[in-house]
Amino acid sequence: MKKKIVLSIFIILISFLQNSCGSKRISKKIIVASSGKIESLDPARANTLKAIQLISSLGDTLYELNSNGELIPELASGMPIISKDRLQIIINLRKNVFFHDGTAFNSNAIKFTFDRFKRIGTMNYILGNKIKSIETPSEYSVIINLNKPSSSLNGLLTSVNLTPISPTFYKQYSDKFLNEKFVGTGKYVLTSFSNEVQSIDPYLNYWGEKPLNNGINFVGYSNSSSLFGALKSKQIDVLLSNSIDDSQRKSLNDLSKNKQFNEGNSPFTELSFISLKTSSYPLSNLNLRLALAKSLNRKLISEKVSYGLRKPSRSIIPPILKKDNQELWPKYDYLEARRLLQKENYCNGNILKIPLTYRSNVPADKLIALTWQEEIKSSLKDCIDIELDGVESTTVYKNLSLGIYTAVLLDWTGAYSDPEAYLTPLLSCNEIVDGICKKGESVYSGSFWGSNKVESLFLESEKISGIKRLEKLVEIEKIAASSIPYIPIWISSQKAWSQNKISKPIFNGAGIISLSDLELINE
Amino acid sequence: MSRNLNKLLNYSLLKISLIPIMLWIISSLVFILLRVAPGDPVDAILGSGADEVSREFLRNKLGLNEPLINQYFSYIKNILHLDFGQSLSTQEPVLNIIIKSLPASLELGFFSILSATLIGFPLGLIGLRNRGKKTDYIARILGIATYAIPPFWGAMLAQLLFSVFFNISPIGGRFPIFQQQPQITGFLVLDSILSNNIIALKDSLYHLALPSITLGFLLSGIFSRSLRVNLDKTLKSDYVNAAICRGISRKKIFLNHALPNALLPIVTISGLTMASLAGGALLFEVTFSWPGIALRLHEAISQRDYTLVQGIVIFTSMLIVSLNLFVDILIAYLDPRIEY
Repeated sequence: MKKKIVLSIFIILISFLQNSCGSKRISKKIIVASSGKIESLDPARANTLKAIQLISSLGDTLYELNSNGELIPELASGMPIISKDRLQIIINLRKNVFFHDGTAFNSNAIKFTFDRFKRIGTMNYILGNKIKSIETPSEYSVIINLNKPSSSLNGLLTSVNLTPISPTFYKQYSDKFLNEKFVGTGKYVLTSFSNEVQSIDPYLNYWGEKPLNNGINFVGYSNSSSLFGALKSKQIDVLLSNSIDDSQRKSLNDLSKNKQFNEGNSPFTELSFISLKTSSYPLSNLNLRLALAKSLNRKLISEKVSYGLRKPSRSIIPPILKKDNQELWPKYDYLEARRLLQKENYCNGNILKIPLTYRSNVPADKLIALTWQEEIKSSLKDCIDIELDGVESTTVYKNLSLGIYTAVLLDWTGAYSDPEAYLTPLLSCNEIVDGICKKGESVYSGSFWGSNKVESLFLESEKISGIKRLEKLVEIEKIAASSIPYIPIWISSQKAWSQNKISKPIFNGAGIISLSDLELINE
Repeated sequence: MSRNLNKLLNYSLLKISLIPIMLWIISSLVFILLRVAPGDPVDAILGSGADEVSREFLRNKLGLNEPLINQYFSYIKNILHLDFGQSLSTQEPVLNIIIKSLPASLELGFFSILSATLIGFPLGLIGLRNRGKKTDYIARILGIATYAIPPFWGAMLAQLLFSVFFNISPIGGRFPIFQQQPQITGFLVLDSILSNNIIALKDSLYHLALPSITLGFLLSGIFSRSLRVNLDKTLKSDYVNAAICRGISRKKIFLNHALPNALLPIVTISGLTMASLAGGALLFEVTFSWPGIALRLHEAISQRDYTLVQGIVIFTSMLIVSLNLFVDILIAYLDPRIEY
């Protein structure tokens, strides 16, 4: 009897607390949560997915990529006009567009934004030396002069870092960052900003379709468990998946299948791969690289590590960017791997020792490394010995170009939606000596692999467009796949989950969620 | 009395004179350790996709290409002027970041100590009063258990239970997302009172409750155990027996003689705990997304933000050293047995 009374009091207390504590949520704004915080809302500085997500709601870019990776004009009034020599791009701009400070959007704003980014942009290396100058022949027309033909124009024209900002408002900040404010032309205006919480309201003078909601509150939690718990306990409406644990992804995936949440997926754009140092023994030997590639059971790794949620990939270009979806890298075949190793005098009492470095602060990396190690122990124990070494990611990045790592687990997401955004950073090289890259991108990716043929194909691809260009890029991948400087493992997508009272999150082709399409459907 | 005060003053001055040496050692160690540690702030800022030219440019801009000795001397010189520099990742003055995040940690620390006292003292007293009984054993087990529970696990368990399962507490943060928080001193509870905002007060206490009570609960074991042990020892001492013989009431003996003496070691423990919490309860702040100084430090370390890490460590060292000094002087003042 006494126990029953205590239990009843406890239940009454919990119910009381559930209904009385804290102020009631009266706002009809949607709460969107993700990990971490936003340090800066300046497009010239923003480099985290979260900041880019928010800026893309506060501003418009010249063009947007749809889920098929095609250009859709936003602040441009039509498709870009490219000169025959591919050194000049003419873009006509939309009229009657106003910044959040009330000033008009025009070609000066584009020039101001591009010049400012070139001058102070933290990530201004994405422009490289591509842009020579910007001309403003009329109020609603800009000409972008290039130093050399560039095949990655889509990336430039859709880059969130180049979101036009109000020259009037940013006058004092043309040479420095403005972290806590943003004045663009987007569907939302920023109403409050702190590193942890940001609030945006619909922009009443927006030139296009108005948002389907009354605004968004953006919140950052510092760990994956909090995000997961907040969605489950309905304290947030939408959860963006960046850096949430795989087990929690799986759980949310299952709950979505049971209709407890809505799940939205971006195109698969994040590539995980192993970089092999091709410049020195043992992995300077192609047969050994091939044997390693054939010993990697991607399906098993995907199932064991990501519960099958990440897609095994035998290509370094995401499927959305390839028309034929061809997979060129070697398939898993441990018998063939054994044959290759035997050919190189391994297996018969001679074990190939491969140190594999993984990023200790990326949980999936360690699991991939362990799974591969165990798989090799079960099928190629007498041939290969994988020695694991966990190193913190910033250390890995710093040491990559020093050639410290024989094999290292990495990932890559292209800065823009184009195969070139994956091929160039991994394969291009400025100085090749005896097939070894001495200077260039492949040094910074840790492979030190270089091919003169690949370099000439890169040059040729910049002078052409369309299917022909794509064919050249596929040819580059074919050469790489036969030389194996990298072993692709899987390709992942961004995910977002919403409560059932909110519409399903929709991603665009750049992996950005369309916040304005989130709608309260059942209050 | 004045001789004693003079002695105490000398003792305090001696302690204070050691502070700059301690801080110099700490700041030099922080400088060396950060430079020795692998990793590069440039990589953390630019990501892995930047080319060498951009990396070099940023390195020069941040002064990281300067000889180490030059970096060290300019660092020490700046510290002497209380200039901790600018955060490498945000370009915001480090002192501003510290000033913005310190109140959150101090507020959490204060309420945690309060909770620890409110939980620990009664537990210690109940145990002592019911010596050898079931309640005593429960209080002892509880006290020991709170030592044994790893703070991160306790925090996660509390979050899972009260925020997710019962849904009676916010999952994290300091204030409701949809409310405008009062901004006067940075201490939200105090700010709510100063601005006469009952709703804000309720909201800030609501957010503070779970992390502070959980942390307080985990700290309560130290308080309950030390109170019990010290009080037990004091109650068995000769002067208490003498007081009983003189016919003084038990209540008076307890309140006027035994308790003040038993509390002396607890003042030291409270001071040291408060000092360690002033630097933030790292795992608690991370688990509860509490925007305090420890969470900032955690982020700064992962971003290799040298100046911010240095600034936070030195500032919190100053705070801890000052609090320790205060406790030392207080104990010396309160306890006539201490020689100085």
